[in-house]
Amino acid sequence: MECYSEQTYALLADGELAADETRRLRDHLATCWRCQKLVDALRAENHVLIESLNELPEEAASPAGFSLRRWSLGWSDLAIMAALLALGSIVSVWFDELSIPAALEWFNPFSPGGRTNLIFSFFYYFAHGGTAMLADYAAVVGWICLLLLLGGSALLLGRRGRLRHPGLRLLIVLLTLSLPGLALDRRHADFVTVAANETVDDTLVAAASIVRVDGVVNGDLIAIARTVEVRGTIKGDLITAASRTEVSGTVEGNIYTLSHTLELYGQLGHSIYGAVQSLHVDDRGHVGQGVVMAVGDANLEGEVKRSVNMVISESGDVSGHIGRDLTMIGGNRGGLMLTDTARVGGNLSAHVRQLKNVHIAEGATIAGKRDIQLNVRESRFTRPRFYVHQALWLAGAMLVGWLGLLLFPSFFQAATQLVGSGWRSLGLGFAVLVGAPVAMIVIAITLVGLPISIILFEVYLAGIYLAKVWVGAFLGRTILRPSGTTKGDWVLGLLVGLLILTVIGFIPYLGGLVHFGVVCLGLGAFAAQLYRASRPVM
Amino acid sequence: MDAKRNMAKAPQLREGGTRQMEGMDLESVIECARGHDGEALGEIYRRYVRRVIGLCRYMLDSRESAEDAASEVFLKLQRSIESYDGSIPFPRWLLRVAGNQCIDVLRRRQRGRKVFMEVPDGAAVMEAASSEPSPLGAVISMEERVQVRDTIARLPENYRVPLVLRYYSEMSYDEIARQLDLERNYVAALIFRAKQELRRRLPHRSK
Repeated sequence: MECYSEQTYALLADGELAADETRRLRDHLATCWRCQKLVDALRAENHVLIESLNELPEEAASPAGFSLRRWSLGWSDLAIMAALLALGSIVSVWFDELSIPAALEWFNPFSPGGRTNLIFSFFYYFAHGGTAMLADYAAVVGWICLLLLLGGSALLLGRRGRLRHPGLRLLIVLLTLSLPGLALDRRHADFVTVAANETVDDTLVAAASIVRVDGVVNGDLIAIARTVEVRGTIKGDLITAASRTEVSGTVEGNIYTLSHTLELYGQLGHSIYGAVQSLHVDDRGHVGQGVVMAVGDANLEGEVKRSVNMVISESGDVSGHIGRDLTMIGGNRGGLMLTDTARVGGNLSAHVRQLKNVHIAEGATIAGKRDIQLNVRESRFTRPRFYVHQALWLAGAMLVGWLGLLLFPSFFQAATQLVGSGWRSLGLGFAVLVGAPVAMIVIAITLVGLPISIILFEVYLAGIYLAKVWVGAFLGRTILRPSGTTKGDWVLGLLVGLLILTVIGFIPYLGGLVHFGVVCLGLGAFAAQLYRASRPVM
Repeated sequence: MDAKRNMAKAPQLREGGTRQMEGMDLESVIECARGHDGEALGEIYRRYVRRVIGLCRYMLDSRESAEDAASEVFLKLQRSIESYDGSIPFPRWLLRVAGNQCIDVLRRRQRGRKVFMEVPDGAAVMEAASSEPSPLGAVISMEERVQVRDTIARLPENYRVPLVLRYYSEMSYDEIARQLDLERNYVAALIFRAKQELRRRLPHRSK
């Protein structure tokens, strides 16, 4: 009997032959060992194929690989966000517990609204108003910035091998801002506009009250303004520091923004990164990639092709389409909400304080898992991280105290003693705490005083940090009552005092009050000692 | 906005609810998912998203479109799961759905025409020449499996798609033919050729 073709045997191995044909082939196989061997080999091959395919290729197919890539992106995104928020968050930690009279609230740079407004006004003022006056000063600051940036980036490049994309962009932005002579199209007026029939071939750097693009910018648009409106097309990235950024046209690259309000009615090719008080992606709006932002109020009605990651302080509403995962952290005031029309192509993760903060309409479609995590505040004592953090905090304060004592022994010991003057220090400290920011702002507004204001601000922050060192040292001394006044006694007193202050700090309400008192006392002692030290010796 | 917020239902999540689902057997999860239980659908996503993306990755050329297709599969699952009758194991069914989704994507790219054309060279009656490399060996190591996968991923689309549908989605020749709008014989020929091409590209694996 003649043998069959390999293709016929392949059909047999796949179980794709009709019953009678299968029977005929089986009859032949019973007599032909070569064909039987071939069929066995074909079956084994099928098995190899199934096995190989089903074992998921990590890189090619698994979402683990996919998320790895996203995370690496996420880290650099986070780095940018951290850079944007660092100053604000450092300061706000200290000022959370302070209450400023309502009448002065508009002036308070540490309330979210006041802070963003201040930043925008500052940027605007700095870039727009004072260049003539500040020409010399800006050159110096520019050089310092440049040196710092070059040094920093060399350090970064050396440490990490290379800079990631968004980080690099941020660097470029800072460089362009600090270098006045780059070959860019720079425009500087009250009202900068790219007319509908106009095309800018370079990157456009604009500082104005209103920047409006009706035409085409072939490079990036870097704008510092009160209002930035893009109605035309930007082929590169849009980088803004503005009170209001509005895109109703097309941005083909990314949007990097520090704005009070960001409105997207148009098309965005890539992603949005930044911090805004209010984010609105209109139902006509389309984001080609993802969103990574810190926002006050977020309202997503349009489409985002990839993931959305937002840290939200007030509320987040999603009624549009999100191609991949949606991650929202916060939203503790207004809550997080997905309406009936919301569509999430991946997982939904929300980190909230209370479950009632999350509202998911029944009609909302979520392809992946709903992962709603409660951030229970009370649980901080159960986390090891908390203790590590406290230990680091304590070690840091000890180190600062010890270094201070080594470098300025008499100043530190005198300041410690001045804490003992009680109410006087407390009153003075309170006055400094409240008065200094006002004074700094007034000095900064004159522009000439800007460097003085910045130095004052740094001294102010240092004073607030050191307050606990002096109060701690004083407290320790009072309790231990050492016979001598050696440095060792002082440091031991500091350790005991700081430990006590740390423990008291965890008592609800009282802790905050004590913390506030400590800051006032220490700051008062600091101010008094500064005053004394600056007075000529009689 | 507030009114909308009040109308919206609070999520039915209890602490530990997710854990419960994780331990549940597949039938119960599917049953819950049929009742539009978001948590159950999420659990199905958790269990099978890797495999579905894996399939889409083989079928489509870019990671981006593969992830898009996988998202689409799970977004549609809320409705499509009603058509699952239990006649085949659920993972197989899901992979078929995913395979069809990918074919849709490929077809859309061809503006509604066939995913790929039948080449009128009589491939269906192709006979194995004696010089063709023999089937891949049975026992292969982890590294070799990686090689096989990579080689499959690099096969031309008209070989890769039927091969993956057959051995990953476990579709029958008839189903593949129907989905790709091709003759059954032609599908058989494509799969056969795909394997031969694979053997040729993995020479040291065939004996």
